[in-house]
Amino acid sequence: MNLTRDEIIEAVNSALVNEMELDPADLAPEKTFFDDLGLDSLDMVDLMIGLQRKFGISLRENEEIKQVRTLGDVYDFFEKNQAMLTAQAEAAKAAAAKAAREDAGK
Amino acid sequence: MDGLKRVVITGIGVYSALGFTPGELFDNLAANKSAVVRGGEEESFLPTAPAPRKPELFRTLPRTLRRAMAPSACFTAMAGLAAMRDSGLTQNELAARKAGCAVGSTMGSVSALRDGYALVLSGQSDRLSPMHFFKSASHTTAFNLARTLGLNGAIYSPCSACASGLQSMGLCTALIAAGQETVMFCGGADETGPEVSGSFSLMYAHAPVEDDPACSSRPFSAHRKGLVCGEGAAVFCMEEYGHAVRRGAKIYGEIVGYSSNSGGNGLSQSDAPAIARCMADTCASAGIAPADIDYISAHATSTLQGDAAEAAAIREVFGANVPVSSLKGHLGHTLGASGPLEIAAVFEMARHGVLIPTHNLVDVDPACAGIDHVTAPREKQIRYFFKNSFAFGGINASLICKLNV
Repeated sequence: MNLTRDEIIEAVNSALVNEMELDPADLAPEKTFFDDLGLDSLDMVDLMIGLQRKFGISLRENEEIKQVRTLGDVYDFFEKNQAMLTAQAEAAKAAAAKAAREDAGK
Repeated sequence: MDGLKRVVITGIGVYSALGFTPGELFDNLAANKSAVVRGGEEESFLPTAPAPRKPELFRTLPRTLRRAMAPSACFTAMAGLAAMRDSGLTQNELAARKAGCAVGSTMGSVSALRDGYALVLSGQSDRLSPMHFFKSASHTTAFNLARTLGLNGAIYSPCSACASGLQSMGLCTALIAAGQETVMFCGGADETGPEVSGSFSLMYAHAPVEDDPACSSRPFSAHRKGLVCGEGAAVFCMEEYGHAVRRGAKIYGEIVGYSSNSGGNGLSQSDAPAIARCMADTCASAGIAPADIDYISAHATSTLQGDAAEAAAIREVFGANVPVSSLKGHLGHTLGASGPLEIAAVFEMARHGVLIPTHNLVDVDPACAGIDHVTAPREKQIRYFFKNSFAFGGINASLICKLNV
C-alpha cells in the first residue's frame, strides 16, 4: 500500500458508494458514520473488510481503527498508518509462507 | 375445530419461476408452461427450475434490509410484501395487532452457505462478511420477512425440508385457532442449487438429463425417473375470522383441517400407511368425509417411490372419487415453498373453476392408478381442497381449505 491521500479518499468513497449505496454528494470528511451517513456497526465491519481486501492489509488486530467516527478519521488513519499496515501484511505473508514450507518439509 | 377460533386467509403473495402474482402463476400453468430448463455445468447439466433472480425488484427493498438477504429471503420478502398489500393491512395495523410470522425453508440459503464455505475452505475467512451468517441462518426467510413487514409478534421457522411451508401454515392455524394470535404471515421459501440437485441425484431420486428438459418432471407417470428441484416463495396473510370480517377483509378461504405425522422409521422414503393416516386425520380434524373433498393437490414430486406411496394412500382414503393433480410437473419441486406455492395456485384454480392437470402425465404408472388423475384441464367448482406435503424423515403434513366462506 503506497497511496496518496487523494487515492485513499477515492478508494474509501468508492467503497461507500458501491457497497453501502451512499450518494457521493453526501460524502465529506466531517460526516459521522452513524449519525450523518446512517451506517451501523455491522456496516462498519463490512466496510473495513472491503478496505482490507482493497489495500491488501489486515485490520483485525488494530485498535485505532475502532475509534474512527468520521469519514475524515478514516482517511487520516490510512494515510498515517499505511507504511505500518503494509509492513504488517508483508510480515504476515512471509510467516505464512515459512509455515507452509515447514509443513511441506514434514 | 370445536371451541376454537376460525382461521381464514386474507392475503396471498408468490414469487415463482412461473409468475410473480397468483394470477400470472395460474395463467402460465393453464398455458402448460414449464419452469424446467437444462442446468449448467455446475448442476452437471441436470434439469432444474430456477426462479428469476431480479435485482431490479430486490433493489426496491432498502439496503439495510437487503444486506442480510440471500435469494431465498428476497423471494420471501417479495411474496410477503405482496401478501400484506393484498390483505389491505398496513404496517402500523400489523404492529398494533402484534402480528407475527412462520416461514420455513429446507436450508436457509444454499447459495449463502456455499459462498461462506468457499471463503473458509480457501483460507480467506478474513473476507467473510458478518452478513453471511444472517443470509445463511436456517431462519433467514422468517426473520427477514418480519423485518420487511415491520412485524413485532412471534417469529417461527419450522425447518422440515419439503414440508416446511405447509407446517408453517399448520402452526399458524393452530396458534390463531387457540386464540394466541390474531394475524400471522405464513408460508415457505427455498433456493435450489447444485448441492441440492446433486444430493437428490446421488440418491437416484433426480430426473436425468433429457433432450427436452420440460419433459423431465412427470409426477405419477410410468416413465418418471425422478424429481427436478425448483425454488421460490409463497406467503399468506392468515387471520382470525372475526377480525377479518370486522375489518371487511376479502376472505380467500378458511383452514378447516390440518394434521401432521411421521412414518416413525423412514429417512428418505414415503410410507403409504402413514400418509393415509395423516390424510384421514386431516379429514377428521375438519369434521368432513373424504368424499366432501373436491380436489387434491398432491405432493407427488415425480419420484418412483414417493408418487406410488402417495397414490396408494389416496386410493385408500379417497378411492377414485376425488380429482388429483400435482403441479410439480410444471414448477419442479420448490422444496420448502412447495406447499404454500401450490396452494396459491389452487386458489386461482377455484376462482377460474378449472383444475390444472399434472404436466407430462400421458401414461399413468399402474402403481399410481386407481385414483382420479387430472390429465387435462377440467372444469370443477371447488368447495373444499386438500393439500399434501411430505418430507425427508418420514414427515407428512396435510391441510384442508374451505372456500366460499
